[in-house]
Amino acid sequence: MIAYTADLSLTPYETAWELQTRLVAARCEDRLDRDLVLFVEHPPVLTVGRRGGCANLSASEDELKHMGVRLLTVERGGDITYHGPGQLVCYPIVKLTDLPLGIAEFVDRLEELMIRTAADWGIEATRNPLNHGVWVGNDKLGSIGIAVRRGITFHGLALNVAPDMRHFDWITPCGLPGVKMTRMAAHTADPPPMAEVKRSMRRHWERIFSVTLRGLSPETVAGYTVT
Amino acid sequence: MKPISEMNFPETLRYSNEHEWITTENGTFLVGISDYAQEQLGDIVFVELPEVGATFSAGDEFGTVESVKAASELYMPIDCTVLKVNPALEDAPEIVNTNPYTDGWMLEVKPKDPAQLDTLLTVAQYMAMLKEKE
Repeated sequence: MIAYTADLSLTPYETAWELQTRLVAARCEDRLDRDLVLFVEHPPVLTVGRRGGCANLSASEDELKHMGVRLLTVERGGDITYHGPGQLVCYPIVKLTDLPLGIAEFVDRLEELMIRTAADWGIEATRNPLNHGVWVGNDKLGSIGIAVRRGITFHGLALNVAPDMRHFDWITPCGLPGVKMTRMAAHTADPPPMAEVKRSMRRHWERIFSVTLRGLSPETVAGYTVT
Repeated sequence: MKPISEMNFPETLRYSNEHEWITTENGTFLVGISDYAQEQLGDIVFVELPEVGATFSAGDEFGTVESVKAASELYMPIDCTVLKVNPALEDAPEIVNTNPYTDGWMLEVKPKDPAQLDTLLTVAQYMAMLKEKE
């Protein structure tokens, strides 16, 4: 089986969010005829899932405004999350009913994807009964927050490769007090190059989901519209 | 996920393609999600339901369920107005997993046209659809 992949590089959160909405509609109507795995990095931004309030925001709104960091409420699951450069974000637009895969199984595979990617740099990441995502010891390396619309997934996962860790002080990650975030670069001699981490994740995606990924240009992906 | 043959699908309900059910017992119309849907979702931690009095057309999104870091949309099986939402789900959303057809009901609705229920799937049709996917 073939699935598509595209690398959107550094893209504002809102742009990628709006694009996902269009891609979900296109996938639902099969105008997008295969699943699509997007890779992206975002300029600094905070997002809150559907049920999360702002109780887990540590920075003041004035402070964030001053730094030009927006706080957006989005339709994914999970609590507050930070995205920023140096963090690999992956948005799978996947038709679960075609695989066929339950939501819990899909989330489990996304965790597996991050665990195997981290392992390529000798990092032993694990699942944690406390919370979904992947962990190194008691520190969180990668987060998951997805949405499902008419059987199609969007939003996705965020793996901390080498982001500026000071930005995580703006929030209580996942709404869990006492949880510390970590990044791959904290566990390697040199920071893993983002391009190599993406390549590794693509390769593991192919194995975990038994597909061959075929690259699409960002222009092709951006061309999908809502009819 | 357990096999479809081990799931429970009451005969008296009508089902939608999107895995919601509706029942007409005692002249009250209740809406919820099927055993298949709750199995697909995994452990439910939050249910977001509409306001009483809201009106919907068949297929409209009426709320979301959150499980395992995934927020999934819910779709209305028929044209209707919401009369009640299940207050128990606010504090105990997991009862949708344990009792999807009884305590885990989500909405009581007033159908625009009760005859519309006949357009929904019978248990035999719904199970045939699920088996096609398996």
